[in-house]
Amino acid sequence: MDQNDSLSLFDQYLASPQGAMSPGTPVFSPMMHYGTGLTPQPVQSTDSLSTLEEEQQQATVATGQLSKTSQQATQEASDQTPQLFDSQPLTTAPMLGTTPLYPSPMTPMTPVTPMTPAMPASEIAELVPQLHNIVCTVNLGCKLDLKSIALLARNAEYNPKRFAAVIMRIREPRTTALLFSSGKMVCTGGKSEEQARLASRKYARIIQKLGFPAKFLDFKIQNMVGSCDVKFPIRLEALVLSHQQFASYEPELFPGLVYRMIKPRLVLLIFVSGKVVLTGAKVRSEIYEAFNNIYSILKGFRRTS
Amino acid sequence: MSGGGRCPDCGSAELVEDSHYSQNQLVCSDCGCVVTEGVLTTTFSDEGNLREVTYSRSTGENEQVSRSQQRGLRRVRDLCRVLQLPPTFEDTAVAYYQQAHQLAGIRTARLQKKEVLAGCCVLITCRQRNWPLTMGTICTLLYADLDVFSGTYMQIVKLLGLDVPSLCLVDLVKTYCSSFKLFEASPSVPAKYVEDKEKMLSRTLQLVELADETWLVTGRHPLPVITAATFLAWQSLRPSDRLTCSLARFCKLANVDLPYPASSRLQELLAVLLRMAEQLPWLQVLKLDKRSVVKHIGDLLQHRHMLVRKAFRDGTAEMDGQGQGQGLGDGDVGSSSLELPAGKRPASPALLLPPCMLKPPKRVCPIPPVSTVTGDEDISDSEIEQYLRTPQEIRDFQKAQAARQAAQSVPNPT
Repeated sequence: MDQNDSLSLFDQYLASPQGAMSPGTPVFSPMMHYGTGLTPQPVQSTDSLSTLEEEQQQATVATGQLSKTSQQATQEASDQTPQLFDSQPLTTAPMLGTTPLYPSPMTPMTPVTPMTPAMPASEIAELVPQLHNIVCTVNLGCKLDLKSIALLARNAEYNPKRFAAVIMRIREPRTTALLFSSGKMVCTGGKSEEQARLASRKYARIIQKLGFPAKFLDFKIQNMVGSCDVKFPIRLEALVLSHQQFASYEPELFPGLVYRMIKPRLVLLIFVSGKVVLTGAKVRSEIYEAFNNIYSILKGFRRTS
Repeated sequence: MSGGGRCPDCGSAELVEDSHYSQNQLVCSDCGCVVTEGVLTTTFSDEGNLREVTYSRSTGENEQVSRSQQRGLRRVRDLCRVLQLPPTFEDTAVAYYQQAHQLAGIRTARLQKKEVLAGCCVLITCRQRNWPLTMGTICTLLYADLDVFSGTYMQIVKLLGLDVPSLCLVDLVKTYCSSFKLFEASPSVPAKYVEDKEKMLSRTLQLVELADETWLVTGRHPLPVITAATFLAWQSLRPSDRLTCSLARFCKLANVDLPYPASSRLQELLAVLLRMAEQLPWLQVLKLDKRSVVKHIGDLLQHRHMLVRKAFRDGTAEMDGQGQGQGLGDGDVGSSSLELPAGKRPASPALLLPPCMLKPPKRVCPIPPVSTVTGDEDISDSEIEQYLRTPQEIRDFQKAQAARQAAQSVPNPT
């Protein structure tokens, strides 16, 4: 059985010198049961690409910090363990210096759903931008009577003199939607693409239950906002001098530097504390790509303080 | 219409005085015959009394330009004159204003925006020629809000594709310091408060440079830092008499507005100076505090480069040192708080970081739990029903609405 193979591989793994690994607490046990909640420490390797692939096959949302919290992540996700267990041997695969012990590609038991492309490059092992807000639009495909929606729904707000749309909110996922009489809807507040999609479907279902023939057409993500911390201070004046055509820094107006990246077309707000806000992306990979680009630029300003 | 006189050609009495460019002429309006004309050449003494006629006023160019644009151009010229800018600045600013007026978005904008636009053009001109003009000054002159100004400014820079360099700090210090009314005695400024301009200027420049090096200027409005530096420079030049004077009183004496953040910049600057003082052997024994350190600012500034290097370890190196184990701080690795040691030994170096990185975070951002949402899950009916009103609720709500309408339609008995 494939399971046994992975088990034996795992035993080998335990026997090997623990050079490249840095387990915090010894959670290794020769008897790896399904769903025991005991998962081995993911290898704190610099090759974050494969580590992330392995642990994220269930969770389709990227975790914030990589190696630091991946431990937590695997422990939480271990409740659905059967598949995760299969992934455990894989975490050993990228271990540097011990690869000759293991036959190379250990295939997972279940097909690993590939992570979204263009994951952050390995040089920035722990720095992964976190998504904070997704704005998306959906066409419900039918005209809406805003007055009756405001009457029949508990979570709706409608003030025609101020704004010509119903503002509706749901608790899970915590989002807000603007519903227009044409049947178009804008949904904001989702923390991931899937959450945004689920929330939009819930709003459509609410409208259906209110008696309108709502459909779910043309779901499109319009904007994604993410942020990250490079963890070192940045000389904004120097950055604006060297990147004049992209950067705009007016300390009299705003403490951050506004960097308009051309490829991908995003706007980044860079602050002196090293925190970076990225906005204007249509897909997650744009945020990661933009962050890679800006990180290499910012590293150049690191030692000039 | 001149009184009396007839045209020699046609004999009509309709003679008009017309100034054709710089020459006065008496012309018959019927046949066009020039009756008399002024002297084209003038003597030296005559020229002293003449005023030059600008091209725009003599050619009727103004007829082609709209009223609002004329008003705006006049505003730009007035601003340049009030600010006493060199003459070339006016032409550039006017050119920018005309360029901006070509853009559709600006032509159809509100008058308020066009007013502010005049200020923006002047500001851009000054910035490009390194003339230190702050946005605050322009906003005060225009009686405009900084928000409105900033919106128009960013828009016009983007639309015209202009490259606007940053405000030059050194020039701003020189201009701002010179505006302090402390360089000669007056009824409001006692003799002990009067200071020599050059000394104060050079010391302020050194303090501002120090602030810039220790991350107190980046990301902040430049003016409050300069106010704080000027105050410290002034105090330190004669501490015995001036230590009792507060920042607010100082600004009042000098007839300068006190910007709100200046007091916190002052505290930050004093903290930096204290850290530096801990590295000077003859000051270590004195156990200085924020008031007494002012007396030694002269010494500290004299050795500032060496002291900053010794007093602060590189904050960026510290961030990097996790995996590489750079043992810079002796026993202080990992500590990032500015704790003043009570002991006699020199303090171990503090981190050289912007204040926002040294303060503890106001609220801890919780790491979001790993979400396992796929977006295609089933949505239970019960979950949706919690968002729908029951029939009873609907009836109550309608009753309440009707009651409110009735109450609103009844006129107030006043």
